[in-house]
Amino acid sequence: MSVNLNRRQAFKVMLGLGGTAVSAMLPKPTQAAEEHPAHPIAPPDAIAMLYDSTVCTGCKACMPACNEANGLPADTLLSGGIWDMPTGLNAQTKNIIELYKDPKSDEFAYVKKQCMHCLDPACVTGCPFGSLKKSDWGVVTWNSSLCIGCRYCEVACPFEVPKFEWNSWNPKIVKCEFCYDQRLKQGMEPACTAACPTQAVIFGKRDDLLAKAKGRIAEAPDKYFENRVYGEHEAGGTQVLYLSSVAFDKIGLPKLGTTSLGHYATKVTSVIYEWLSGPILMAGVLGVAIRHNWNRHELERLEHEKKTGFPDQL
Amino acid sequence: MNSLPSAADTRGSTLINHWQSGVPVNRGRVLTPFLLFLIGLAALGLVLATVRFFSPLGPFSGMNDAYAWGVWKTFNVMTLTALGSGPLALGMAAWVFNRQKLHVVMRTALVSGFLFYATGLLALGFDVGRPWNFYSAVLPWRWNSESAMLEISICMPLYCAVFLSFEILPLFLERLYYTGNDRARDILRLIAPTIRKVYPFVIVGAYVIPLMHQSSLGGLLLLAGTKIHPLWQSPVMPLLYLIAAVLCGFAFTIFLLLIVCLRYSRDLDVGVLNELADLLSGVCFVFLAIRLADLIWRKQLHAVFALDSMSLLLMIETGLILVPAIALRIPRVRETPRALLNMSALACLGGMFYRFIPTSIAYMPAYSTSYFPSVPELVMAVGYIALGSVAFVLAINYFAVLPGEASSWDHTFRPFGWRRHSVIIATPVPSVPAAALERGV
Repeated sequence: MSVNLNRRQAFKVMLGLGGTAVSAMLPKPTQAAEEHPAHPIAPPDAIAMLYDSTVCTGCKACMPACNEANGLPADTLLSGGIWDMPTGLNAQTKNIIELYKDPKSDEFAYVKKQCMHCLDPACVTGCPFGSLKKSDWGVVTWNSSLCIGCRYCEVACPFEVPKFEWNSWNPKIVKCEFCYDQRLKQGMEPACTAACPTQAVIFGKRDDLLAKAKGRIAEAPDKYFENRVYGEHEAGGTQVLYLSSVAFDKIGLPKLGTTSLGHYATKVTSVIYEWLSGPILMAGVLGVAIRHNWNRHELERLEHEKKTGFPDQL
Repeated sequence: MNSLPSAADTRGSTLINHWQSGVPVNRGRVLTPFLLFLIGLAALGLVLATVRFFSPLGPFSGMNDAYAWGVWKTFNVMTLTALGSGPLALGMAAWVFNRQKLHVVMRTALVSGFLFYATGLLALGFDVGRPWNFYSAVLPWRWNSESAMLEISICMPLYCAVFLSFEILPLFLERLYYTGNDRARDILRLIAPTIRKVYPFVIVGAYVIPLMHQSSLGGLLLLAGTKIHPLWQSPVMPLLYLIAAVLCGFAFTIFLLLIVCLRYSRDLDVGVLNELADLLSGVCFVFLAIRLADLIWRKQLHAVFALDSMSLLLMIETGLILVPAIALRIPRVRETPRALLNMSALACLGGMFYRFIPTSIAYMPAYSTSYFPSVPELVMAVGYIALGSVAFVLAINYFAVLPGEASSWDHTFRPFGWRRHSVIIATPVPSVPAAALERGV
């Protein structure tokens, strides 16, 4: 099949091809930093929590402290209206102490659950209008006036932390925000670390806490599971760090890769959608083809209408 | 009963070139008992949707924090907009790849596609928890440009409200031309050339935008990471979601054309159906090739043959696409309406399986609870589909949508209303030759 082009069309095609080639060859402005690196590096001011499961006594002092600081009602569904008894993180519980107990051996451990404040959070990457965002010190906060309630954050979060107020007409996303508005801004540490009587969960700069955790591992080799800190590399790194003597996946910390989910999800699309170049290029290519076929169609249409008397329909 | 003597049953024997232009259905009752039933379902769904608007989501649906996306998002949007991708698939084939034969069935694809998108968006509107904040869509400084959700929440309404609406505009104008007064005709004669002028530019957008959001629907699931079974979770999911949309678009258009033409005793057209079947089979092979290459590249072939529930699901899905892909290569199958109907239905199901499974069955969060849609949730989902079906039946009765023989249409349209018309009511044909409007005289 040969394509018949007149001079003008040939020029157009050449212009299009040339433009594409030039834009591919032109040196790209070197970017200061990739938006979603596979292994993000924590900024020096990033804060963190370090939770040591071997120190926690399961007193749950952090839970009412959290409820009080965040103005959350007690979850009294199971206790018959008497006291706070959540079965997991939910729309009334931003922080919880869970007990893992092996039914066969006497192995047991407590684990504290709350938002992990990832270095590259999947929820922030997915949030369409930036309701969830990385605020000062790397804290992941939620802004009610931007949220449309699409619940993509719940689908995206690998730790299943964000919870939705299913029973509210004006539903909010409930998750630990590191007491950002309530305490951090006033220069106080979060309610849970302040309330912990045994220093099982402590607050500090991420770099310091990571060093401290590694120090504890070095002091007592073989005490901690796999001799590593959970959260150092998980899902690209988190700002809540865990030490445990029991396997992490047993106490409910999922086995995750070290690549950030944001990197996995946007590494191709960020190239295609950079300055909308992909869609614009596609529109150009389709436009040329459609224009060509349209002109041909118009000629055939007039002939057809003359012959049959029936109009062409779009 | 005032049933008309139906045309002789010539199905299968008269597959000659019968489709020349869109011809309205103008015989038989519009308001059949089945349509009344569908209207009832749609009304029930809409009443429930209104109740839902004033009620929180929790007591109304079976959704929970682990399965935060229920059947409205996973089926009405993720799955059914694939069926509604006929305008993309056929339009690209006709205008970009110059398959001129397909122009005659574009209107059927356009109307069905528009209705799938419109009802999907309606479902989405009642699914989100804080719809009053959606005005951010027109404030670009609030956009999180890396979010696939943003892409979808902006592109889908834009596509439906601007591009698809523009493409179905000629249906309304044409009806107005033949049934309206002289003044209306004068105005139409004035704007017809303008529409012809901008048409090729608008359809560029009408193909670029669905290419973007249909792939973004797959891109959404990338962030779910390990929650989705590795047989489905893959970096090429956006591409496969797009190809599945094109596949479903072709398959559903064939299916719909056959069903409706058989229902209204229209002759079929071997040329157009052959072309569509050919394209469908090609797209099926492309889909399967990419799926296989992806599974090999990610070293998941062992999981395919693990014979657990997920591998069986994958085999069913692949089989549903592979059978029509092979069968439609055989000319005799393509030319037998019954076989073509069956094969296109299988391909539709296969494409829908691929679009639905990763969002629901293969979506397995670690702290998994169970999810099954509650009764009101299901009734609403069915109600949206019924609403689309009612609108489609009305559209083919009152507008020139379905393809037919040009000579079978004397430019009469069924007048609006629920009256019974046992005879064709002819509206006076305007004195201006029909072709004059389109030429822009």
